[in-house]
Amino acid sequence: MDILKQLLSEADQAEIVHVHGESTTVGFEANRLKRSQVEETTGIALRVVKDGRLGFAASSDETATERLVTNVLESATYGDEVRLAFPAPQSAPKVTTFDPVISELSIPRMVKIGQEIIELILEVEADAQVNVDLTRGVDHLSITNQAGTEVSFDRSPLSVSFDISRIKGDDVLMMFGVVGMTVWDEDYLAPVRRLCAQLELAKQSTSIQSGRMPVLFAPTGALVLGLPLMLGLNGKNVYRGISPMARKLGQRLFDDKITVVDDPTLDGKFSSASYDDEGVPHRRNVLVERGVLKSFIYGLKTAAQSGVESTGNGSRSLFSPPSPSPTNLIFEAGETPLADMIAGIDQGLLVQNALGLGQGNVISGAFSNSLSLAYKIEKGEIVGRVKDVSISGNVYDLLQQVAAVSRETEWVYSSFRLPYVLLSDMNVIAKE
Amino acid sequence: MRDKIQAALRSSKADYTEIRLQEGEATTIVYRGKDLETASAVIDVGGIVRCLCRGGGWGVSTFNDRDDLLTKVEQACQSAQVVQSEEPIELAPIPVSEARITVALKHDFRGISMAEKKALSEEYNNILLRRSNKIVDTTAIYQDAFSRVVFANSEGTFIEEERPMITVYLIAVARDGDNVQTASESVSGQAGFDFAQGRHELAQAAAQRAVNLLSAETVVGGQYTVVVNPRLAGVFVHEAFGHLSESDFVYENPRAQEMMSMGRRFGRDLLTVFDDGSLPGLRGTHKYDDEGTLTGRSDLIKDGILVGRLHSRETAAKMGEKPTGNARATGYRYAPIVRMTNTAIEGGTTSFEDILGEIKLGVYACDAYGGQTELESFSFSSAYAYMIRDGQVAEMVRDVILAGNLFTTLMNIDAIGSDFEWSHSGGRCGKGQGGLPVTFGAPHIRIQKVVIGGK
Ligand SMILES: [Zn+2]
Repeated sequence: MDILKQLLSEADQAEIVHVHGESTTVGFEANRLKRSQVEETTGIALRVVKDGRLGFAASSDETATERLVTNVLESATYGDEVRLAFPAPQSAPKVTTFDPVISELSIPRMVKIGQEIIELILEVEADAQVNVDLTRGVDHLSITNQAGTEVSFDRSPLSVSFDISRIKGDDVLMMFGVVGMTVWDEDYLAPVRRLCAQLELAKQSTSIQSGRMPVLFAPTGALVLGLPLMLGLNGKNVYRGISPMARKLGQRLFDDKITVVDDPTLDGKFSSASYDDEGVPHRRNVLVERGVLKSFIYGLKTAAQSGVESTGNGSRSLFSPPSPSPTNLIFEAGETPLADMIAGIDQGLLVQNALGLGQGNVISGAFSNSLSLAYKIEKGEIVGRVKDVSISGNVYDLLQQVAAVSRETEWVYSSFRLPYVLLSDMNVIAKE
Repeated sequence: MRDKIQAALRSSKADYTEIRLQEGEATTIVYRGKDLETASAVIDVGGIVRCLCRGGGWGVSTFNDRDDLLTKVEQACQSAQVVQSEEPIELAPIPVSEARITVALKHDFRGISMAEKKALSEEYNNILLRRSNKIVDTTAIYQDAFSRVVFANSEGTFIEEERPMITVYLIAVARDGDNVQTASESVSGQAGFDFAQGRHELAQAAAQRAVNLLSAETVVGGQYTVVVNPRLAGVFVHEAFGHLSESDFVYENPRAQEMMSMGRRFGRDLLTVFDDGSLPGLRGTHKYDDEGTLTGRSDLIKDGILVGRLHSRETAAKMGEKPTGNARATGYRYAPIVRMTNTAIEGGTTSFEDILGEIKLGVYACDAYGGQTELESFSFSSAYAYMIRDGQVAEMVRDVILAGNLFTTLMNIDAIGSDFEWSHSGGRCGKGQGGLPVTFGAPHIRIQKVVIGGK
């Protein structure tokens, strides 16, 4: 590799990353097939360590190597001082993330799947406007560094996203779903069916009074609780001193029903792979175990800054240097059947979708969200949709006491697996 | 290159074909806390071919390697033929244009060394860090990007445009025990290096505000009369109303058209809202949009009445209206869709003092710190806020989140300030394709009966 030699003539360490991707998308707009798109992506990203300083440069023009080399060396001249070592070759778990069924999925078949999704939704809600995007691709990533690591892997991501809007006068319902996989899953319609069930429930509307009550978070709604933790567990925020969990390793921070795991080693999942984007082997990381804080997530740089090992969470896009990011983030299942959780609620709220996720001072754990889809639970039954309702609180207070976690879990937004979570006493604000 | 592009266009079997090629370089300097996190330069080149086949649909091909345009055109044509639409897609006619738009930057950032850009970011970062020992984390970002875009279509339009953009973005995080507060300031424009210089007061302001927020109480939730500052009012009108004016939302949807029918009253007589992509110096400004349509002003609400909407050539044809120059794409990976440019609430006649007027107990909400809307429901966090007591701005409060219904909220705007301004912080719109530069404009406005979440 002559770029590597060229870089090493001036720098102490060097890393070369090549990306190559091809994808095909079919898009439906307002229930109709509207467009088809092919995409080809190429790029090269370089990092060097020179006199203890880290440099980064990238280009989507693969022929511009000379300027790229100049750029990365200049970047290192001004770069960050960090005791980072690119990894030597290490064996990694075998994780299946390539499936020819996906990479060879024909366009007519993709169109057919899109139509199936739209038909399913229109059966429940004839007035719905449905947009569907299906993208299948092949991504190739290769990482080479001066320590001898030569890692390359192929992935075949398939993602299907769909959004629904239903307007009646000034009354609007919007829903969104996305399914992601890297190995073909025959049950690809399951998330659409779940969404249809929610649409069915939303047909009945009812009202609710403000006050304190039990609140049951559906997996999509549980992201309200999951997002602050995801930020707090990120080693970058810990190093920067802004995570409320900093310096609390080993402490019991949450109810013992809460276990959080980052797992990139699951076959066929959207964010799975054998290695991370820095050539560090992936592994299953238990972050919170029965309420006790066990680990944060790190990439090479944040690990070096923090004096720990990378947890294999270095994640990158072509134009930005690697940074720690969760892969498949999992809140482990509990012991209570969902049906029992609902049956046990005399008067409460089921949170399906929240508006304003990630807005405000999320890392502090504080949230205040109006709910785009929520249901009232009365005498153990879901009785209808409630509108103009919002919830607020702080995750770090609320998760110290969790009434129940469901046995059932669902994959939502491609990379999260979450259960239903019941909090027994929360503040619910409803507009009169 | 021009010959190659035109040869590729001629080779197309589609009814309409366009090619957009882009090449650019960007420099990014990021300080986080005491550390320089990134000092990098990236090179980005790529292109997109989009074809329309009558009886088919849109076919698109995007790529980095621009050598073989003939193949890309063929790919896009094949993709277009895959799509079988029951109703042919039409494009509203626009004049054929030929233009070469170059910019002369007073102090071109491409000639400035990375050392100088780093030094500037470091100065700002030091101000953030040193303001108080309560500041635990900072972010100081300097970014410049210069790209050249060539757009050509099979109707004969050929436009070359240079697009510079420079941004300074500063964040301070203050902490006191478990209380962590963030404040940010930014500026961004199609300008040279001088635009990024001399912004020390922004760093001061961000750091001071983060510290001040530590001792601010969380607002007591409830219904208030709210005065909104220009920056928040601008984001509000873009997010909560503007997106409903984008015709791709209504053109295939009769029920949405009913909701957004022309002549419907949206506000009191004093409310006028417009979008204008032709105003010099603003982030959302271009002479032509990404379909080659001239940009200009579109009134959306005039004297309280809905009077217009934003179009691409496709939505305009479908609705029998004129293209407005709002077909925009976030780079070469994307086909253009209907987007806003520079969107504003027009200035009124009321002074800030009179807006506060007789408010006994209210909230003065400043700057946006994220927001989300789902059609008629919206939720916005203000970055900082103050209570209003007896017509005076009083103590600072935090965690002010405005939520409500768009239609009732617009009707409840009962005063519009005379202090109109375009915000020069780096506004971005995230619709569909991610961040596209836009500008928000507004004066101070007063809204009755806003529900504010809080403790
Ligand atoms: Zn927007």
